[in-house]
Amino acid sequence: MSDGSRLLDVRDLNVWFDLGNDRTLHAVQNVSFTMDAGRRFGLVGESGCGKTTSILAVMGLLPPSATVSGQIILNGEDIMAEGEKTIRSHRWNDIAMIFQGAMNALNPVKRVGHQIVEPMELHGYAEGEAAEKRSRELLDLVGIPPDRADRFPHELSGGMRQRAAIAMSLACEPKILLADEPTTALDVMVQAQILRLLVSLSDDLGLALVLVTHDLPAVSEVCQDAAVMYAGEIVETGTMDELFHDPKHPYTRLLFAATPDLFGDEQVLSIAGSPPRLDEPLVGCPFCPRCDSDFARCVHERPVLRELSFGHLAACHLNDIAEQT
Amino acid sequence: MKRSRGEYIAKRLFFAFVTVFVIITLNFFLFRLVPGSPLNRLAGPRASVEDRNRLRQEFGLDDSVFKQYTAYLNQVAHGNLGLSYRNSEPVVSVVWDKLKISIPMVLLGEAFAIIFGIITGVIAAARRRTWFDRGSTTAALIFYSFPTQWFGMMMILFFAPPFPSGGRTDFFASYTGVAYLLDVLKHMVLPSLTLGLVLYGEYTLIVRSAMLESLGEDYVLTARAKGLPRRRIIWRHAFRNALLPVVTLVALSLAYVVAGSVLVETVFSWPGIGYDFYQAVFADDWPVMQAILLILTLFVVFGNLIADLMLFKLDPRVTE
Amino acid sequence: MSQDLSQSPTAMSPEPLRPMPKRRGFFRQLIHDRPQAAVGLAIVGALALIAIFAPLLTKYDPYVSTRELRQPPSAQHWLGTDDGGFDMVTLLMYGTRTSMIIGLAASFVSMFLGGAAGITAGYFGGRIDGAIMRTADFFLVIPEVPLMVILAAIFGQSLIIIILVIGVLLWAGTARVIRAQVKSVRERVYVKRTRSLGAGNNRIIFRHILPQVGPLLVANTVLVVAVAIFDETFISFLGLGDPSKVSLGKLIENAFQAGSASRGEWWMLVPPGVVVTLLILGCTLFGQALEDALNPRLKVSYLSVRSFTIRRGISENKGEA
Repeated sequence: MSDGSRLLDVRDLNVWFDLGNDRTLHAVQNVSFTMDAGRRFGLVGESGCGKTTSILAVMGLLPPSATVSGQIILNGEDIMAEGEKTIRSHRWNDIAMIFQGAMNALNPVKRVGHQIVEPMELHGYAEGEAAEKRSRELLDLVGIPPDRADRFPHELSGGMRQRAAIAMSLACEPKILLADEPTTALDVMVQAQILRLLVSLSDDLGLALVLVTHDLPAVSEVCQDAAVMYAGEIVETGTMDELFHDPKHPYTRLLFAATPDLFGDEQVLSIAGSPPRLDEPLVGCPFCPRCDSDFARCVHERPVLRELSFGHLAACHLNDIAEQT
Repeated sequence: MKRSRGEYIAKRLFFAFVTVFVIITLNFFLFRLVPGSPLNRLAGPRASVEDRNRLRQEFGLDDSVFKQYTAYLNQVAHGNLGLSYRNSEPVVSVVWDKLKISIPMVLLGEAFAIIFGIITGVIAAARRRTWFDRGSTTAALIFYSFPTQWFGMMMILFFAPPFPSGGRTDFFASYTGVAYLLDVLKHMVLPSLTLGLVLYGEYTLIVRSAMLESLGEDYVLTARAKGLPRRRIIWRHAFRNALLPVVTLVALSLAYVVAGSVLVETVFSWPGIGYDFYQAVFADDWPVMQAILLILTLFVVFGNLIADLMLFKLDPRVTE
Repeated sequence: MSQDLSQSPTAMSPEPLRPMPKRRGFFRQLIHDRPQAAVGLAIVGALALIAIFAPLLTKYDPYVSTRELRQPPSAQHWLGTDDGGFDMVTLLMYGTRTSMIIGLAASFVSMFLGGAAGITAGYFGGRIDGAIMRTADFFLVIPEVPLMVILAAIFGQSLIIIILVIGVLLWAGTARVIRAQVKSVRERVYVKRTRSLGAGNNRIIFRHILPQVGPLLVANTVLVVAVAIFDETFISFLGLGDPSKVSLGKLIENAFQAGSASRGEWWMLVPPGVVVTLLILGCTLFGQALEDALNPRLKVSYLSVRSFTIRRGISENKGEA
């Protein structure tokens, strides 16, 4: 359904990495998703499934060894059309990103306030006194005492640095925020604070949030819907409720079942085996070797992502059988 | 978490003093290993009788070793390092004059090396794996491998016809004022250039390495994500961080600058402290040799101190 | 040459190697990833061969004058003769021999001292570490070349003295590098386990730490050889080399004393310098490549000249709506 007022429309995103010796790694395969203002969307999966690469592609931050295809439509304009040239002007103004391990994302020799002000001035958003004032407001917004603006990153705790990174990302009032594992390496209490912060920013500012993570409880707390990625492609998309309680793909089911249940006595399941290599062509369903419900068709026919009910898509042959019966 | 600049400097100064003190002591003991009588080590055969007696007094040469040591320390503190063998002048004034002649030439060469080294290093890192990178790295390695004195002679071999092949001024002319300065500058070109070219290679390699490290840090990716212009990211973000190891290593390379200056001055007969060292060695002029060792050490120590101070200023994380 | 070789200036390879899988495999991998290692090794190897087989390669005696002074290159003397009438090619070969011996021997001395100091400091830590490192810092700060010169002037001009003087003053850089490595190795689990089993310090050091640190020590020593060769040229230039031996440094000094540069007698001046340059270059290339391979610190750069590529056209497997 193509609605002209969609904020962000990612269509058929593919990313290949050149590994040398004529080998390529197909890291992202036909990934599509859309974002609206105020929506929070999760991108979940194991490490190496391509979720980080996908959002890096949206920002145009891929290395020279990468080849990209697909469309990234922001406010009706395909910013991927000319690559770096077209994407660059949208960075930070329209889409911003916070990285995994924000401790290192901040430049250690520059003051925190300056790092927030810098993009403002360079994008012509604000300057001088006004910019400094706004940077202090942003720090306050994320729960950091504004006087910390004059401090250096190493003087802040891990949690504060992550918040500072969030404040920094909001400097030019982007409409979309891509958050890559924002809670890794933080302790549990701080994690919860950060997640709550992201939710409130989304609600209050109408920020569209893409949360990339392998932390399922975090996703369920923050996001309204999510896509599950496996071996570079999206295997299921749906609301959190659907993914948790009515998964249509064995991987989703097993993944959510593997989440440790702190209060119940359920066993912690982990999925045996490891993801397939993406530098070799794949035959059949990529999850087949680790699947508990695979059958003959899975081995040589690749399942296609199909819409099963409104907004709920999955790529599994089991759903065909379910339909037929 | 305020850092104490005073404490930082104090610690560094202390170490600097200790180093100088050890060198002075080392000098004293080295003195005793030189063949010949103690007095001859201080004054040389051409000194007058009065001078010799005075020195005997000042350095307590008739007393015990320990007394001699304290007397020596005392004299050094007062700037008395004996008389030069070659002309029986006080070592300190001889060396001081030569120092004033060395400094402009060495400074020019070092400045060239640092600036050129930084520029090539940064650009090579930013343009990694391009022909510029490979070319400048190879060139840097080759220049780094040239023996300094040999390179100086090569410069003479190739460029001496237009440029003077030695000395600081034209021996036969007698310029004054601006003409004199220009003449000195003309003579300074080859030696400074030699020094600079031999030194720059190491700096290029160091800067490039530090930059590559910087460019792999997350804050560079963040800077790109912010849409900052490329040049700004290279200089204001990556280089600003790379500066830290660079400053440290430039300071450590000062010892090499010192060695280089001795060789360059000798090859070009540049009448500075390095050339004087060379002549002192040939003339067995021990007081001068040891004084120059002391002075050169002071230079390196001082340079390191400056580097430490700069590091403190540049890196907000440094506390101790 | 700056003594601090703990930075890796020639980081040209894309990916770090895995530390030491197998001896044979390691070398092949090294040369494949870092061709400059092969170049360096080849240069040094070729010069070493020439040095070793010098008497077989030339008919002239480096200590007997042919009485044809300052001759430019000719059929009999491929690189001419010097101001004493000695055949330049012969002098070069024997000079290379002496210089390489000095370089290797001095760096062995420094390797032992530096290695021992670094291992001791890194392993025992605490006060011992502090004391050793302060001493090392001291040695790094003092301009070792003037000190070397003075020591050589005092103690005489034999080959052994020169070797000892150079070696003793160069240990500090090695000590630093080795100490860092030892500290990180020490943390490894199996060392702790061995300790809890009651193994003594000596056993741990020799059985576990030394093998891990060994290759890096070798790599660093190769780099020290380069510095030692340079130092030899310096000492010889100031007339303090062993007068009974021909060395490359002496040849350069000779060219200086004979005024070859001003007289345009390039055959006396250029060749010895070129050989020294090649030696230093070769050692640096190889040593640095080796050190980089053992001490991987390289990451991807987030900033590059080229950008990622866009592929236009229809992608496969379009999902059905």
